[in-house]
Amino acid sequence: MQYKILKKNKYQDFVKGLIEDYNFIGPTKKDKSVHDFVPLNSIEELDTNYLKTTIPPAKKILFPPNEKLIEYEIGDEIKVKPVIESSETVLFGINAWDINGMNFLDKFFSKDFVDENYWDKRDKLTVIGMDTEPTENNFALSMDTEYATDGFDLYLHDLGDRYFVRVNTPKGNELVEKYVDFDDASENDFKDFDKYMDDYRAQFSNKVNIKSFYDNFEMIYNDEEFWKKIAKNCFSCGSCNLVCPTCFCFNVKDDLKLDLKTGEKTREWDSCMIPEYGLVAGGHNFRPNKENRLKQRYRCKLKTYFDKFGQYACVGCGRCIEACLAKINIAEDINSVKKEVNV
Amino acid sequence: MSKPKVGVFGFTGCGGCQLEILNLEDQLLDLVSAVDIVHFREAITEYSDDYDIALVEGSVTTKHGVERIEKIGDIAKIIVAVGACACTGGLNCLKNLYGLEKAKDLVYGDKKDWIDTIETKPIDKYVKVDYMARGCPPNRFEIVDVIRSLILGRKPEIPNYPVCVECKRNGNTCVYELGMTCLGPITRAGCDSRCPNSVSGCEGCRGIIDNPNVNAQKDVLEEYGLTVEDIMENFNLYNACKKIEQK
Repeated sequence: MQYKILKKNKYQDFVKGLIEDYNFIGPTKKDKSVHDFVPLNSIEELDTNYLKTTIPPAKKILFPPNEKLIEYEIGDEIKVKPVIESSETVLFGINAWDINGMNFLDKFFSKDFVDENYWDKRDKLTVIGMDTEPTENNFALSMDTEYATDGFDLYLHDLGDRYFVRVNTPKGNELVEKYVDFDDASENDFKDFDKYMDDYRAQFSNKVNIKSFYDNFEMIYNDEEFWKKIAKNCFSCGSCNLVCPTCFCFNVKDDLKLDLKTGEKTREWDSCMIPEYGLVAGGHNFRPNKENRLKQRYRCKLKTYFDKFGQYACVGCGRCIEACLAKINIAEDINSVKKEVNV
Repeated sequence: MSKPKVGVFGFTGCGGCQLEILNLEDQLLDLVSAVDIVHFREAITEYSDDYDIALVEGSVTTKHGVERIEKIGDIAKIIVAVGACACTGGLNCLKNLYGLEKAKDLVYGDKKDWIDTIETKPIDKYVKVDYMARGCPPNRFEIVDVIRSLILGRKPEIPNYPVCVECKRNGNTCVYELGMTCLGPITRAGCDSRCPNSVSGCEGCRGIIDNPNVNAQKDVLEEYGLTVEDIMENFNLYNACKKIEQK
């Protein structure tokens, strides 16, 4: 890791250079309540000062909601052509917890099986992080995801009159040398950066006791009343999964054209909260109840993948809390487990 | 295998579902290569009483309609209900909310006895419906999917999850956040969330999912300062038949 300083008067030229040279994806205001990460053609469209995005930016690029996987043709023999679409892309302005969410997906899509559709895009993605203000539902601080230590090429921390820049990769270093002059960080810059991080961390008001949840989870696992209470208003609409930066489940669909000769297979985001998720051939459903499905989701997020990867499948972004019309609140539920067990 | 013979039939409705089949445009030639269309009043002059698959749009609202749908039930091996009117009764069910006599009074006045009208019902009240391609208008690609699945002998993939799933995949801002009402959380998906995509609440045209959380929907409405009446007005538009049935 190298540490650099980018003066504010050089920031614009730096960004303009990136927009000029790359497929540049950054945040822009979508409507009165959210921003969205989309390809941008001018710096005027860029607004890094955002509070909320509906769909996590890295997931949207690397693991899109609908993605063609193969095209095929049925003749004397069956011809199959893999479809992998990617281009050199700069993802600008993604925050620390979303970078950590992407780090989880990196692990998932390489652990047991290297997913080429994901990795072809990931290898061509340059990630430039920036801190954003947490919403009141954000509990990233408790999940240790308010600061990214990996997964990015550059990270720009806004110290007011200058950016403190962490250079994490050779690719990041190339960009530092390419467009404008960056200065080396001085001892004073490091001090200011430490102070900045203290102030930044103080903005996270929503706290959870994740350790206690993890330790006590098996004790409440079979407590039907507990799960019924939490899931009472669940619509089984899947919104929590679909806005989650770490949810990776997908469904593969076969689309044979009406000529009955050519077709394609596509994958689309799936959701473990919808009733059909647990439905198998023969009509048996492993998780017919919403309580059961919610329990499974919490277990996947807060237990299973910690055991597997050493990282929770939850970064505390709070999107699922904000997307849930039924007001199911994972942060409150994490904290309630300790209380339940104490009773 | 010989090509299956398909008949397209219209009952009470606007005829827009038949039009959606014609709107397939660039797939029409493939469609008529894959199946023989033998009856389709909106598209061809010929008609036939010999068909394997019946695509039926519209709801049944007359005694004559009952005779026609029962005849189709006798002939067709497979019946596919196409569109909201055929699947749920659709808009035509609004009539039932008034009561038949009052509705006739309101619309036809002193000529009401000239009119042969009965309570509106979706077609599955008269015949066994094998598949439903829902919506107002139906998703024409779903109609293709149903036909293709029938040719291949597999089950069409018709979602039984709420519109929210497709809406989130499309990255939409929840219309509740924008101050509108939406039946998305309890309405069957398959439309690619086309109303919320245009920043407009879902009106439930594809009917309600199998296990909707209606109590939760009421809580949500309260949360956003809306009443049950607000949503029932929406709900009635396409689902009045179901509501009356549940009483």
